[in-house]
Amino acid sequence: MTSTLTPARSSAAPPHRRTRSVRWRGPVIAWLFLAPALVLFLYFKFIPMFVGLWKSLFKVQTFLGDEWVGLQNYQTIISDDEFASAIWHSIVLALGTTVGSIVLGLGLALLIEGPARYLWFVRTAAFLPVVTTMAAVAEVWRIMFHPADSGMLNIIIGWAGIDPQPWLASEDSSLWSIMIMSIWRGTPYDMMIFLAGLVGVDRTLYEAAAVDGASTWRRLRHITLPALRPVFWILFTLAAIRGLRVFVEVYVLTNGGPNGSSEVLMTLIYKLGFQKNELGVASAGGIVLFAATLALTVVVQMLRRRQTT
Amino acid sequence: MSRRLLGTAIIASLAVTLTGCGSGGSSSEDNTLEIWIRQAADSDSAKTAQKLADAFTKASGTPTKVVAIFDDFETKLNQQAAQKQLPDIVINDTAQIGAMQSQGWLQEVDKASLAGGDQVSELAWKAATASDGKIYAAPFSAQAFALFIRKDWREKVGMEPPETWEDLAKLATAFTEKDPDGNGKADTSGFVIPAGTKRGYASWYASSLMYANGGDFIKANGPGKFTATMNDPKTVEAVQYLQDQFCTTKTVNPGAVSNDTTVTHEVFEKGQGGIYLTGPYVLARFVDSIGTDKIEVVPVPKGPSGGPGTLGEGENVYLMAGSQNQEAQKKFAEFAISAEGQRIGMNKDANGAIVRLPVNTQVDMAAERQDPRWKVFQDSYEHAVYAPPVPNWAPIRQDSADSINAVWADCGADVKAKMEELNTKLTQELQSQKAS
Amino acid sequence: MRFDSALGLESRKGPLAIAGKTLIYGLMVVVFTGPLVALLMSSFSKTLDPTSFSLWPDEFTLENFVQAGEKNVYLYLFNSFVVVGFGLLLQMLVSVFAAYALARKKFRGMTFVMLLMLATMMLPEEIIAIPLSLVLADMPLLNLNLIGTYAGMILPVGAWGFSILVMTEFMKEVPVELEEAARIDGAGELRIFATIIVPLCRPALGVIGVFGFTMIWDQYLLPLIVAPASDMWTLPIALRSLRSDEEVGIGVLLAASLLALLPSIIAFLAFQRQFMRGLTSGAVKG
Repeated sequence: MTSTLTPARSSAAPPHRRTRSVRWRGPVIAWLFLAPALVLFLYFKFIPMFVGLWKSLFKVQTFLGDEWVGLQNYQTIISDDEFASAIWHSIVLALGTTVGSIVLGLGLALLIEGPARYLWFVRTAAFLPVVTTMAAVAEVWRIMFHPADSGMLNIIIGWAGIDPQPWLASEDSSLWSIMIMSIWRGTPYDMMIFLAGLVGVDRTLYEAAAVDGASTWRRLRHITLPALRPVFWILFTLAAIRGLRVFVEVYVLTNGGPNGSSEVLMTLIYKLGFQKNELGVASAGGIVLFAATLALTVVVQMLRRRQTT
Repeated sequence: MSRRLLGTAIIASLAVTLTGCGSGGSSSEDNTLEIWIRQAADSDSAKTAQKLADAFTKASGTPTKVVAIFDDFETKLNQQAAQKQLPDIVINDTAQIGAMQSQGWLQEVDKASLAGGDQVSELAWKAATASDGKIYAAPFSAQAFALFIRKDWREKVGMEPPETWEDLAKLATAFTEKDPDGNGKADTSGFVIPAGTKRGYASWYASSLMYANGGDFIKANGPGKFTATMNDPKTVEAVQYLQDQFCTTKTVNPGAVSNDTTVTHEVFEKGQGGIYLTGPYVLARFVDSIGTDKIEVVPVPKGPSGGPGTLGEGENVYLMAGSQNQEAQKKFAEFAISAEGQRIGMNKDANGAIVRLPVNTQVDMAAERQDPRWKVFQDSYEHAVYAPPVPNWAPIRQDSADSINAVWADCGADVKAKMEELNTKLTQELQSQKAS
Repeated sequence: MRFDSALGLESRKGPLAIAGKTLIYGLMVVVFTGPLVALLMSSFSKTLDPTSFSLWPDEFTLENFVQAGEKNVYLYLFNSFVVVGFGLLLQMLVSVFAAYALARKKFRGMTFVMLLMLATMMLPEEIIAIPLSLVLADMPLLNLNLIGTYAGMILPVGAWGFSILVMTEFMKEVPVELEEAARIDGAGELRIFATIIVPLCRPALGVIGVFGFTMIWDQYLLPLIVAPASDMWTLPIALRSLRSDEEVGIGVLLAASLLALLPSIIAFLAFQRQFMRGLTSGAVKG
């Protein structure tokens, strides 16, 4: 990587001139280093986003010419019953997945913390779900969720004496089934971040606590968990950013069904935009979703600030 | 030093990739006719489309480029429209006519000036007519739906091919309870149904039985005006009949309510169910995978309150707006409806028939296809019912799929009340499309 | 008493403890890799049931992979590799540069830039798909058409807020003294960047490398928009197309799914030493 920079090195200014120009050079250099990222973001994120924002004010008819409708698209989407239930499903799914992944991730991280070689193997194996392609993984889970007695998960819960479940096929369980898969994929990620956090905990505190005769639980409660606080905030922030936007999982597994019981914001917006040709309304939905995500992230950050001060 | 060289090499090749591969882009500037077909890429159907295009090139001298895409057809088409670069020709479902026409994507077609237009069946022309009464496409392919039944199973349980809805229900029960595959396990179902909501499959499946009972989603009452008829007793009866299969007699394959056709085909092939209502395009596949003597095709039985009827569908050749190549567009449409074009599209008995039933009345199907089961589909087509030419059919199909899926998934649901609710919804939808 | 971990499980050596640990760790491995193993086995299996998996291929066959070849899956795999190869290189370069500015410099507007980066992570891609296609077809000011080019699939993934932010956190950890010492020796900006900061952040490169790979490999809408026809498709698009191809069975789909899964797993295993070190070397200090 260093090699790409060698031609530029010769053009660096000789040292005696730098002292004079240092006051303006700092920021200029910073902006130069930022430039590639900013240019790429401008072209591929911000311009498209503003076009989308603009389109949300129109009845989009790509060939006949767009028709200005003002805020009507927003009114349409917000007053749609399906939109309300999609928001609810998105929140349930996001909350369930986040809490489930964090609790399990923390538990597992505590169990497999340590320098032993076999633990390193367990960590690597457990992390695999995170780096796998969602579309392919969802395909596998769809088969495992098969609702008959012969379905893989039904056989497994059968060993524990539980009756076969309908999983994705029933209104009552479709959202929960999707959540199970999301937790399966989210837990190892959270576990890794927790492991990273656990490394930073001061070992001498454990030893001191042990000398004082504190139980394992008290050690966790008073030393480990407080030390992990920053990790929790990172995970909450990521959850806020990603949570409401789930799409591929739901699209592949149920596409929102049965009876809309697993319809989330993104699948609804996608249907509006591309299957019902309502691009303007879909854009409005997207902007609403963006605003909600932004608000959620800001809330998490505010809570975090209040916590730390 | 060598690492430095490697870095330079990588950057250089990156630069080449970035600038060098720009040739694949727009072909609209030359005289190549771009043809899009809604079929999976690299599928046998896509290959047949390529054959058709090649034959056209040979006959007319116009070069062509075929793009086959299925799942994201609408996404890509919207994208092309936004760029004001629609393909020249689109071969797509007849039901899409309203959506494309209301977007201004289609050119009107003059039936009289289209060579060979008089050889095309009237029912097919109707499916190329939009709600304003004008024709916007050349018909290309037609199909009607019928029942695929496991003949070996039916003989094993000792029953006759079903002729009424009652027969059908009895056969399904026998398939479910009498272990027709003889493996000693209760692992078979009567019906296999793609009853998920994706692309409106649930409503797509239900429609054949609704039509077979004289019901319908909506009915035309004047040019460009429609009324919702989901609360019509005949329609409700059909949906109720299927709910009974799901809930009372439990003769439907497990998980059906979240399945699409891809999964359902597999379920049928693996012998998990014995009655599959679908189109003729899977005949070659099932003959291949299950065995020709184990499959029979039976028309959808007439319902107790009306009929006969079944779902009619098809593909049209749409001439897209904004084309630089209007003369070639018309020539292609003429080629597609000609006897030669139709025969290429039919692809004999093999997989990948993009012309399921020929729309050109001059083509003798029996001469092209050996398998007599095609005849059942052709006979069914005579009383097939197409989706009505509303400005946008997709939301109506989607809304009804959601509601129908709901009463099948939730056995406690009251079909009549739910259909009444759907009727109100469809009425609102028609109003918003200014078609009521 | 010594502690290598919060629970101190390491020091419990009784037979019961060992049995318990084996059970827990075994269960973890099975739960998290089981579905992947099931996929591996099934894709080599001849008679496939669309509703269940076998844990051992009944009738081992390569048939599914041969058929996948007929469906051009290997071409899509190649396209995926091209995009991920160049895309990841670009993304890592861009991230490292941007992070250097954000972590090591103070300038007016820095908070604003950080907010912009966060905002890009919140944008639902499906919404900007159509507008993005317009930008790609006619780049403002540049007058370039990137539709139908690999560049159109590569450049948009070149900047990713997540890896910039991760990298920034890492770079903040590098002690200022090292940088100052080099400055006194007369090293220029690029030299400090290239010879001091970047080498010290090598573990972090493992982290953004693994996540970046998965992110680019998973791209769906972008290549769909950019590819004018199926010959430029990448694997995720092909997966969806295979799923709706009424003529093929589930075996081909599973074979293609496996091909889609393996490269990111291999990439992870290749980078994983650095990745693990990156994660545990203090990125997460809040």
